[in-house]
Amino acid sequence: MKLNMALGFISLMLCVFFLGSPVAVRSVSASLKDPFIGIAPEDEKYYKTSSDLIKCKDGSKKFSKAQLNDDFCDCPDGTDEPGTSACPAGKFYCRNAGHAPLFLYSSRVNDGICDCCDGSDEYDGKVKCPNTCWEAGKVARDKLKKKIATYQEGVTLRKQEVERAKLGLAKDEAELSKLKDEEKILKGLVQQLKERKEEIEKAEEKERLQKEKEEKERKEAEEKANKEENKAEQEANPDNTAAVENTDSEEKPTDSMHDDEIGLLEDSSSYQDVAKDNDEPAAEVENSDTPGSEGSLVNEVEQPAAEAKEESAVSPDSGSKGNDVSENTEGLSKEELGRLVASRWTGENTAKQTEEVDATKDNDHEEMPGGTHGEESDGYASETDNDNGRYDDDNDDVEDEVDEDFREEDHDESSSSYNFDSEIESDLSDITTPSNPSWLEKIQKTVQNVLRAVNLFQTPVNQSEAAHVRKEYDESSAKLSKIESRISSLSQKLKHDFGPEKEFYSFYGRCFEGKENKYVYKVCPYKQASQEEGHTTTRLGRWNKFEDAYRVMIFSNGDKCWNGPDRSLKVKLRCGLQNEVADVDEPSRCEYVALLSTPALCLEEKLKELQHKLELMNKEQPQNHDEL
Amino acid sequence: MKPPMKNLNLFLFLLLVLGLHLGSVLSWKKEEFRNCNQTPFCKRARARKPGFCSLIALDVSISDGDLTAKLVPKTPDNEQDPDQIKPLILALSAYQDGILRLRIDEDPSLGPPKKRFEVPDVIVPEFASKKLWLQRVSTAKIDGDAAPSSIVYLSDGYEAVVRHDPFEVYVREKSNGNRVISLNSHGLFDFEQLRAKREGEDWEERFRTHTDTRPYGPQSISFDVSFYSADFVYGIPEHASSHALKPTRGPGVEDSEPYRLFNLDVFEYIHDSPFGIYGSIPFMISHGKSRGTSGFFWLNAAEMQIDVMATGWADAESEIALPSEKSRIDTLWMSEAGIVDAFFFMGPGPKDVVRQYTSVTGTPAMPQLFATAYHQCRWNYRDEEDVEHVDSKFDELNIPYDVLWLDIEHTDGKRYFTWDRTLFPHPEEMQGKLAAKGRHMVTIVDPHIKRDDSYHVHKEATQKGYYVKDAGGSDYDGWCWPGSSSYPDILSPEIRSWWADMFSIENYVGSTPSLYIWNDMNEPSVFNGPEVTMPRDALHYGGVEHRELHNAYGYYFHMATADGLVKRGDGKDRPFVLSRAIFAGTQRHGAVWTGDNSAEWDHLRVSVPMILTLGITGISFSGADVGGFFGNPEPELLVRWYQLGAYYPFFRAHAHHDTKRREPWLFGERNTELIRDAIHVRYMLLPYFYTLFREANTSGVPVVRPLWMEFPSEEATFSNDEAFMVGNSIIVQGIYTERAKHASVYLPGKESWYDLRTGTAYKGGRTHKLGVSEDSIPAFQRAGTIISRKDRFRRSSTQMVNDPYTLVIALNSSQAAEGELYVDDGKSFEFEHGAYIHRRFVFADGKLTSVNLATTSPGKSRFSSESVVERIVLLGHAPGPKSALNEATNQKVDIELGPLWLQWGRGSSVLTIRKPGVRIGDDWTIKIL
Repeated sequence: MKLNMALGFISLMLCVFFLGSPVAVRSVSASLKDPFIGIAPEDEKYYKTSSDLIKCKDGSKKFSKAQLNDDFCDCPDGTDEPGTSACPAGKFYCRNAGHAPLFLYSSRVNDGICDCCDGSDEYDGKVKCPNTCWEAGKVARDKLKKKIATYQEGVTLRKQEVERAKLGLAKDEAELSKLKDEEKILKGLVQQLKERKEEIEKAEEKERLQKEKEEKERKEAEEKANKEENKAEQEANPDNTAAVENTDSEEKPTDSMHDDEIGLLEDSSSYQDVAKDNDEPAAEVENSDTPGSEGSLVNEVEQPAAEAKEESAVSPDSGSKGNDVSENTEGLSKEELGRLVASRWTGENTAKQTEEVDATKDNDHEEMPGGTHGEESDGYASETDNDNGRYDDDNDDVEDEVDEDFREEDHDESSSSYNFDSEIESDLSDITTPSNPSWLEKIQKTVQNVLRAVNLFQTPVNQSEAAHVRKEYDESSAKLSKIESRISSLSQKLKHDFGPEKEFYSFYGRCFEGKENKYVYKVCPYKQASQEEGHTTTRLGRWNKFEDAYRVMIFSNGDKCWNGPDRSLKVKLRCGLQNEVADVDEPSRCEYVALLSTPALCLEEKLKELQHKLELMNKEQPQNHDEL
Repeated sequence: MKPPMKNLNLFLFLLLVLGLHLGSVLSWKKEEFRNCNQTPFCKRARARKPGFCSLIALDVSISDGDLTAKLVPKTPDNEQDPDQIKPLILALSAYQDGILRLRIDEDPSLGPPKKRFEVPDVIVPEFASKKLWLQRVSTAKIDGDAAPSSIVYLSDGYEAVVRHDPFEVYVREKSNGNRVISLNSHGLFDFEQLRAKREGEDWEERFRTHTDTRPYGPQSISFDVSFYSADFVYGIPEHASSHALKPTRGPGVEDSEPYRLFNLDVFEYIHDSPFGIYGSIPFMISHGKSRGTSGFFWLNAAEMQIDVMATGWADAESEIALPSEKSRIDTLWMSEAGIVDAFFFMGPGPKDVVRQYTSVTGTPAMPQLFATAYHQCRWNYRDEEDVEHVDSKFDELNIPYDVLWLDIEHTDGKRYFTWDRTLFPHPEEMQGKLAAKGRHMVTIVDPHIKRDDSYHVHKEATQKGYYVKDAGGSDYDGWCWPGSSSYPDILSPEIRSWWADMFSIENYVGSTPSLYIWNDMNEPSVFNGPEVTMPRDALHYGGVEHRELHNAYGYYFHMATADGLVKRGDGKDRPFVLSRAIFAGTQRHGAVWTGDNSAEWDHLRVSVPMILTLGITGISFSGADVGGFFGNPEPELLVRWYQLGAYYPFFRAHAHHDTKRREPWLFGERNTELIRDAIHVRYMLLPYFYTLFREANTSGVPVVRPLWMEFPSEEATFSNDEAFMVGNSIIVQGIYTERAKHASVYLPGKESWYDLRTGTAYKGGRTHKLGVSEDSIPAFQRAGTIISRKDRFRRSSTQMVNDPYTLVIALNSSQAAEGELYVDDGKSFEFEHGAYIHRRFVFADGKLTSVNLATTSPGKSRFSSESVVERIVLLGHAPGPKSALNEATNQKVDIELGPLWLQWGRGSSVLTIRKPGVRIGDDWTIKIL
């Protein structure tokens, strides 16, 4: 104890002595052994000039050699203080032999924290930084080697991908031009058939009139003969007419109701637009691009209505959050009131919370209704965005069923990446596959035959021949509409941006999945991205574009967040051997990011860069090891 | 017909949702809060006419060093009347330095039904020792009164007067008899005494769905207070309103509410309103050109409403009142319960009043250095990865910050002192990583305790009976973040001690010594309570009703939490606790912020008067959420907010969890640069700020001050709350509009001002129309001052400890200047034992001298610093000198032209003494040659 006290006293005395001595000013530069500390080797020439004055790199002034690293900032750009913390704009170079060299902000020099693995940034003696470059370098080198291996393999995969894309694109283009030719021919045939059909119909009409006339005359003759018996028949006639009228009047109200509904739905769609801040113009354009039909029109109108319904389901709660609660709070229980007031800050659904006892933690549950509706509109979207729904022979009538099919398809698919186009292509095989090249010729021939066979001047019209013409017409026009829709889908596809080397061509029509906690994230490039939890699907965004030199895919205008932005997803692309979604995150509310590793990003230049880096590291390596 | 209607509703609803989404709809729920007319005591008091009070003072005498008297009705009521007013006891005490204390309460010897509540633990214990023991009372008839007045000594220049009939108390200047402050000059004094309930009487009060049982019936107190020779009154925070208080009643005031003091959690408060928000300090300051400053403080924690009367109000109401006088400001103070325990402060200067007030309620605590730097907060940094990412991003972009904050979501289901282990599996390690870079972490701990039997805090509090009780005597059950919650009865010292122990490293699992605390929701906020708070008839320790202490609940909570951190650090580590609720004395326990503001220009603007008002009422460590809590600020607003916030005493960015992320780097390179610059300004000025915090700690004079505090005789400053002073040396004016190209800045005083960035001089005493760029907001150094800076930007303030100083000397017209610097270890309480450096720098006659201001005596702790002065900048010096002489070492050093701010590099050239070779803690003199 005594000893300690004595020591304490001595050190206190020393301290006082030190304090009292104005001469004992410690200068940091005094501990600077190397006047050129903090300078990169390639830069040393600049400082080791023969002249006594050195220019600041920004040309603002000059400083003497004595002022180099003297811990006083003379050059605003930091030229004179590469080795100290004096200039805010300065950079400190550490060699880090055994690892990679590093430039630090000058503010890191002598701040008591080891930044350089060789410890060179902390030289004022306050902390001792062990040299960890060898270990760190080894780890870094191993990591780099692994990365290089991935890149090497990835570059090959990418090349294959690019090749495939070339072929695929050529094929698509060839198909498109072929289809266009076929379309032209087929159009001609259909036109011919149509004309012939109309002629036949005209002839038939004529025949029919003739027949009626004859019938009438015959009847009149009969009437004269059997007046008495005809009375009953005459009475039956007015009944018939009445029945027809009835049907008419029944149909009319339906029509008008339908009209009303459409009007109303249009209203709703217009305010939907307002509410969504016109964020879906793209989708609408796509809608109008697709060949219009009664069915799809109804669907287009229905979609916002469905959304509106969903919104209204949420409304009592969110309305109270946002607005005048005064009317509402009166009737609430204490607990409901508590939840309601809490929801102002959190934006959570109070009604839901009342049901869920311990739901306060879960911020997302109020989005569930939105999610369900997302799923529904998903269905519509896949129909409208998409090419495929159109290939079905009788698409016009059974639009809804098609929707069903596609939805189910989406759900059943469980592999992590899959192609929704392939099935459709096989569907079309009868008309597009090269194995069946002469189908058009066949049709042409058949049509010629049919046309030739039909004798227009023959009376009465040969019924079997007429039926033949009709059948051929129906079949050909069905084929034509198939071709047309295929053309439209192909042109849509080819409009997309597949990257500078078309390396993203194979992404078209595919989806990539990743699991994060309870959610499955599904990224379908050129289409959309969604988050699925059980049977609930939330759309995180529709395909928008590539960004950042094809290193990022943007999906925007996803389902709306309450009191937040529309959901969006940014997919950052990394070189990897497989197309895999990982690390989905929501750094800001309703703004998601994900990583997608893909060979498409395994660029050769980058590989070279990495190899070069490794070479540099290896060069430093043995030297440093010796030092150790 | 029906469907279209339904759709119309839907349409309207969607429009509303859209509107809300854009943040354009104000959603302050006015109707959920009581106005004066819905508050019976306020309505009654406001309806009284001047001359209402019929009390007279009897039995005036000196007892125990106080002047005492009885207040009785002039014409005794019918003896049979059960409501007969019993005599009230009045006691007047004088304290050193011109402080008068007036207490009026019921006479305990007459057996009132209940003892009225006196707010404990607000007046500092040392105050008692400042009491002057009055010996003599003189009696005189003043101004031709029929009845006599009793006069006692107050201080050298002042005496206190009790006029007997009608009863009135005032302070006057001895020399000329001029009044300074008076009470009951308009006869509005009223004291509702506790009594038995009459048959058929209904004491219950209903507001919306809530019923207040009011078992003790009416017990309010009200009175008028007049300030003489006053041009403006200030104070009584917390309101989002102008610094100089606008009148609330009288000619020209339409339909206004009184200023309400009732601590409330107001969702999306509006930027200009007398309604009560999170804090209440019943302290008002008057200031006038002719006499100076005085103050009035009523220590009372019940709901209070205060009217500021417009000139001429009394003429309109009654002829009995004092005649209108242009330089007098009348105010009406109304409180629901408690006693009269009021303090009169004589000033006469603005800083005197603040010193006097803080001698009663305490001076601001000395914060740790890190707490005065920049804080990064958001509701919520979600998980450890998020924390690591944000932290590393600051490093990557060379932006300093000192503290990362975690809001409620870090807990396990809003059970404070716990962690959501999925998101934060390794809290110690996470804090350790920050601490390795000298950074700190703050977690939130609110007063609502989740009613969950498996939660140890709840279990213990229930078993020990530590919760506030409802009117029926059961544990009060309210609703807050965790759902069903109860609230510790923090009025009790025992419970406070129990609460404080929660913060020990052992009890708070996952905490480390670098973790500090944030108390939010401590008004207390109760989502399903009346006016979003606790029912007034809830019961506290000692049978105290919540109505009696409401405004101090958060104060005690803040106190207990800060005590907890002191205990945790074994008394060696200064606590840091941020509180939202505020009461008189809060300054002793930590920092406050202005609550849930909005990302709007108006809220940026009102942050200044709010902080100024808190400052003059003792709370110097305050700030507003940079960026605005609700809503998404445009990048320009965010940048302007950083530029202003860098000068707030408490500098923290914060955001609601529905807002977009807004860390400094998310708005493009240019904005990142601008925000970094703004934060750099703060770090550069940290030595100056820290010195100001110490000044506040010793004198109560706030860090950030209204202009009139520094220029008390200049009328142009009295109502200026666009600009403010940081200490006595820097003036700052915010930019409060979009795309501003110009700003009109009034620069007070006779001396010049130097632009903080360029060194350009501007004349004082006039308004300058200045061009404004996006780079910065107008800020100037006053001629005649010396500021200490540190110009190296480290990762956090911790690494700046040994960095060299830059002294910026702004010379006045007589080529002189002075300034101070205070330095200590930035962490411990050793400074209280003398371990600090306190220097005064004086420049005169071409010499700069550093003088010791620290009192040294044997046995005291010492603090030394290795830091040197690397650069001395001379503004306003005649050009020419090439060198200077360090007289101690007889060494010559160079003088050259250099930049005023290094990072602003080229363009500006100011005289710079290069490496003068002196240590910051030493005595030295440098002579310009």
